Amino acid sequence: MRQTIAAAMARSKREIPHYYLSTTIDMGRALTWITEENLKRPVTDRLLYGVLLIKAVALALREVPELNALWKESTAVQNPDIHVGVAVSLRQGGLIAPAIHNTDKQSLGELMSRFQDVVKRARAGTLRSSELSDPTITVTSLGEQGVETVFGVIYPPQVALVGFGKVVERPWIIEGRVVSRPVVTASLSADHRVTDGHRGGVFLSTVDRLLQEPGQL
Amino acid sequence: MNNPLTPDDIRQTVLRLLGEIAPEADLTALKPGVSFRDQLDIDSMDFLNFVIMIHKTFGVEIAEADYPKYGTLNGCVEQLSEPQ
Repeated sequence: MRQTIAAAMARSKREIPHYYLSTTIDMGRALTWITEENLKRPVTDRLLYGVLLIKAVALALREVPELNALWKESTAVQNPDIHVGVAVSLRQGGLIAPAIHNTDKQSLGELMSRFQDVVKRARAGTLRSSELSDPTITVTSLGEQGVETVFGVIYPPQVALVGFGKVVERPWIIEGRVVSRPVVTASLSADHRVTDGHRGGVFLSTVDRLLQEPGQL
Repeated sequence: MNNPLTPDDIRQTVLRLLGEIAPEADLTALKPGVSFRDQLDIDSMDFLNFVIMIHKTFGVEIAEADYPKYGTLNGCVEQLSEPQ
């Protein structure tokens, strides 16, 4: 496992000219929405806020599809389908990122169910090999480890990785007044052979905008 | 209706469920008053699955706002010892 990760990451850093962007997103509406939504749901169907992040990334890729691509034979090939790979840490050490297929087309309930399923099977070692090779982008969240900002390494042949840190209370200015808001730092690691900072910035702005309307995800 | 389970029954069942969530953990060393999250390598998905298992095993409804009450072994025993 460690050797596989080492080979992939070494190849990534050797071949991919990474650029990194980050933005701070007000999560107040999203967290309020999910608390209210979970009140309506039985315990077995409740959502984790991470599914909002995954869905927002998937929908943002529709608007910046060049990040949803694979690098093949010196060119980027956009994928018509969006298969977000979700980074899962394994109990014996190591990390894998199985795909949640057609992520943008799943309802939040379906997405939560698939997320639970892939995490469970990742840790049980029962994923299908295609689930590990199908992701068209990776999302990783290290907030539970206390990390505020992720500077991720792209998993080749993908051309982008999105990271989320811990939700923290920060002073925030709304209509000229300083208030305390829960915020998260979203970061993008992207392949400069495929996109530039302008498009990367559009992507992060889109993720932010989508998270301000969580009921529409 | 009174819960027929003794606190020790509840404790043993909760430990069994935790063992399914975190099979690598040495639960004999678990400190009953300290948060599971501070002692075990479990994340929010694991904890949600633990709450679901508590719900299914003990037949209790658990509001999301009450999750912190189930965050320690002592907390689980206290919550599950109360009449439902």
